Amino acid sequence: MRTLVFIPAWNEEDSVAAVIAGVHEALPGADVLVVDDGSGDATAERARETGALVASLPFNQGLGAALQTGYLYALRNGYDACAHLDADGQHPPEEVVRLLAEVEADRADLVIGSRYHSGAVAGSGDYKPTFSRRIGISVFRFFLTLATRQRFTDTTSGMRAANRRVMALFSQHYSPDFAEIESLQLAVRQGLRVEELPVRMLERAGGSSFLTPLRSAFFIFKGLVVLLVGQFRPRQAEAER
Amino acid sequence: MRTLVLAAGQAEPQVHLTSQTRIVAAVIAIFFMLLILDLIRRDRLQERYSVIWFVAGLGMLAGAAFPGLLELLADAMGVRNTNVALFSVVLLLLLGLALNFSVIMSRQAAQITRLAQERAIEKALAEKGSGEGRNGSTGEERLEPKKESL
Repeated sequence: MRTLVFIPAWNEEDSVAAVIAGVHEALPGADVLVVDDGSGDATAERARETGALVASLPFNQGLGAALQTGYLYALRNGYDACAHLDADGQHPPEEVVRLLAEVEADRADLVIGSRYHSGAVAGSGDYKPTFSRRIGISVFRFFLTLATRQRFTDTTSGMRAANRRVMALFSQHYSPDFAEIESLQLAVRQGLRVEELPVRMLERAGGSSFLTPLRSAFFIFKGLVVLLVGQFRPRQAEAER
Repeated sequence: MRTLVLAAGQAEPQVHLTSQTRIVAAVIAIFFMLLILDLIRRDRLQERYSVIWFVAGLGMLAGAAFPGLLELLADAMGVRNTNVALFSVVLLLLLGLALNFSVIMSRQAAQITRLAQERAIEKALAEKGSGEGRNGSTGEERLEPKKESL
């Protein structure tokens, strides 16, 4: 079983090395790839210093494109399973191990690490989102559940594990704007087994979220349009499961 | 009441383009087409994207030279004022063009992204190859998301 853990990173020079070290510790057998999304700082250098492989996009392309780079790399290089986590240190690497275990046991094609799964109320765990974020989370959760007829609690989680079916799909189709949400919708519509696993996530170490109320409103609106459009994409026959 | 009946009873005369409008339109159309030619000549515009603009320029010229065409168009649209008919048609044409460009832009954005990804992956593999003295690529590229035994 060859496993790749990739870390999309954009201007995360302070935290990327620690994340890589954490992944090596938690998953000694896995290869680590940092997808540097056109960082202007020393993210790529910090990552290389740790001995990790770095794929640098020549200019910032957005999270979706960075993740797709990881999936494409995993597919091309014959990995059996892959996982990704954020470079800002919010995602404990030990949790990725559990996600990968689900994929390796072939219980699911795509496993999402959910911050909210265990508690019924948003933010009841270690992770406390802000108010505007909480609204967005609820809206997306509701509509994604409606669209996929499958319960999702953490639609924007950036901690996931996947097998080759998912690599093949995501390396071909991955929305550059609404990567997290649309990819879930797409995977379910393609008849893949998508599963959520409760995970522990940490507060952001530094920096503030980019969302102001107006921006969140626009973000939510855009997300809903994306979901709506996604419903009109062709669906894979159920029998292919 | 009587005026209403009158208005409905006898059709008001069509509003035509004035000669002045026609001359201005013809001059603009000619300059427009010259501009297109010049852009192509200086490699600022690719031929395949110029066809539509050239057709637009010719259409403008035709409208100026033969106002009968525009009146026919106005009749067909049920518009009494030829100028309004002209405006609507041009607006629709521009809307279509703008949409067409968005489609082209989306495709090119996707292509640029893929190019960036390919380059990033190749560079990473080259780095890895020089580090370990071997290349781990299996060359697997065909994507088959449906059936794959794991």
